[in-house]
Amino acid sequence: MKTKILILTVLFFGVFSMTKAQTASEILDKADNVITTSDDITQNVEITLIDKNKNQQTRTAVLMQKGEDKRLFEFTSPSSYEGVSFLSLPDDVMYLYMPSYGKERRIASSVKNQKFAGTDMSYDDMAAKSYNDNYTPTIKSSDATSWVLELIPKTAGEYSKVLLTIRKIDYIPLKAEFFDKANNKIKVSEFEFAKQGNFWYVKTLTVKDLKTNHTTIMKSSDVKFNQGLSDDIFTVRNLTM
Amino acid sequence: MKKILFLVTILFLSLSIFAQEEDKTKISGEFITDQRLLLDDDYPWVWNENRLSLQCDKKISGSSKFHSDVWFRNMGLPEFYSMSNLYNKTQIDPFNIEIREAYMQTSGFILKNLDFTVGRQFIGWGTADKINPTNNFDAYDFEDLLDFGRRRASDALKLTYYINNYFSVEGVLVPIYRPANLPVGIYSDALYQNFFQSDMLNIIALSDSLILPENKFKENFSSGVSFKGFLAGFDFSVSYVYGRDFLPQPQTVDIYPVDALGNAIIKTELYYPRNNIFGFDLAGEIKCVGVWTEISMVMPADDVILTSNLHTVNPMTYEPMIITADSIILEKNKLYFKYVVGADYSFNHGFYANIQYLHGFLHERGNEELNDYFFIRLDKSLFYDKLKISPVSGAFIISDYSDLENNYALVYYPEISYKPTDNFELILAATIMEGKGDNMFAHLKSFDTFIFKAKYHF
Repeated sequence: MKTKILILTVLFFGVFSMTKAQTASEILDKADNVITTSDDITQNVEITLIDKNKNQQTRTAVLMQKGEDKRLFEFTSPSSYEGVSFLSLPDDVMYLYMPSYGKERRIASSVKNQKFAGTDMSYDDMAAKSYNDNYTPTIKSSDATSWVLELIPKTAGEYSKVLLTIRKIDYIPLKAEFFDKANNKIKVSEFEFAKQGNFWYVKTLTVKDLKTNHTTIMKSSDVKFNQGLSDDIFTVRNLTM
Repeated sequence: MKKILFLVTILFLSLSIFAQEEDKTKISGEFITDQRLLLDDDYPWVWNENRLSLQCDKKISGSSKFHSDVWFRNMGLPEFYSMSNLYNKTQIDPFNIEIREAYMQTSGFILKNLDFTVGRQFIGWGTADKINPTNNFDAYDFEDLLDFGRRRASDALKLTYYINNYFSVEGVLVPIYRPANLPVGIYSDALYQNFFQSDMLNIIALSDSLILPENKFKENFSSGVSFKGFLAGFDFSVSYVYGRDFLPQPQTVDIYPVDALGNAIIKTELYYPRNNIFGFDLAGEIKCVGVWTEISMVMPADDVILTSNLHTVNPMTYEPMIITADSIILEKNKLYFKYVVGADYSFNHGFYANIQYLHGFLHERGNEELNDYFFIRLDKSLFYDKLKISPVSGAFIISDYSDLENNYALVYYPEISYKPTDNFELILAATIMEGKGDNMFAHLKSFDTFIFKAKYHF
């Protein structure tokens, strides 16, 4: 009995001291690491768009990511979107390739906060970016199971702040709430993570635009880690191939 | 006709061969119907186009692909004047087939960083919106003048060497010369007037003959090289092209007066002069505004001289005589500049604005002949891009600043598009033109149109 109590006490104080000791930046850094544990990831994505009248449209895409900051997203259906590709690279560089146009086009900053292909995500949301590199975090609140971090963008953009809920036990992000410049909550994202082997990935991402009552659900399937994706995939050259 | 059947057979054989292979052959396409009527008293029908475009994409290996795009079209309005015409289906139901693209592309050709593309392909140099003065390989496709940025692909060999992720060098060879095609339907006289207009004469009959380049490689080919890069947040390229003008320039004009009132018959010969063209383009953003510029510096390889022959009668001897005068239209090695400057910005709530200034339209040549064009477009997207309205869209053209009242054109081109589903789009639009003087759009002022289009992707 004494041994059990001792273990529980050690565990309690251990967790308590661990949580107390961490800064917001450290927590966010660990959350970033959970999201990008593998060197690369390839997955099929099914995107369901649901409007306020519950009408649904479905799109599919392939998403490839290498490291924290290289991502290629290519639509595979419907046919009007097929081949439309979005490439995000380090230093906030983004390209859009449209087969009908025949060449890539760099995405200007004014476009980055626009909705991406009819979804509730902006181009900026779609880019591969670490939270810690782009936001300054502070701990807004904490309970037994999660932290809520307030993230202030390092450079002015679409949002004035983001409230990110992170699960304490494994640093999994659970929810992100986005606020506009007038401090109105405009969008909520909910993450459902799954584990495959040693790696976590976002199995389902639900994004709701609170103004339009429009929802985007992205579901991942056929997820593959560490396939040795070449850097050549994440190039403008590859967009036209 | 045999040629068309042959091409279609080849196309379908290719498709069936690819279809038999096990993977990654994709057939996709689009159907579009484009119907226009004049905003005139009787609302006459002036444009009827039903186009089925079929695209075939085949990944031959991880680094090679084949792509083709073929248009099958009912194009034009029925023309029949006698019973005999009714035996001809092409007159009752005009159709044509056009191979827009058909090329093979290989990545890592000989060298890891070298791509090779052969076949009918868009070279597509330039970064400006629709009008690219530095694209001097893909011939102008003026068929539909309202779609004035449209080009025809080049039958070309293209080598692209990627120095790294930011810089590349591209070389292009187009062995066979292909000129621009002129507008059809109600727009057919828009450019034609620019070639043969005369203030002094009333042309009652006009004939022309085109002098094509000799059927030799040396006379036909166009070639060029481009260096592209990304520096300080801007995409840029510098280029050089040695090629022929896509539009013919008059070489000789024979004038046959028929009376003393200025009525005359004109016979003219036209040819396609050679040019050296230096290009530069830049695209990026300044304070969140997308900006671009594109400049072509055209240097005629030879003097373009117009010889005018006035066929008249010697008033003393009453014998026929010819009075000849030469005038230099374009001087050898004398540069003229055509350029575009543009900007766009995406506002919140789905507003998008695009403005562009163009000096020198596609058919204009020589410093004195280049007009100024100001384009503007304001789009508003609604309901997650299902509905897009363009209430402010058009152009303002100035052909003589010193007499603006009599030398301008206004083009208003509002448009509404609605997508009931992802693959289906309906478009309603109108063109309203007003103008005076010597510019292409002023010539079109009596052709205000209402446009209906429906598109379906598959």
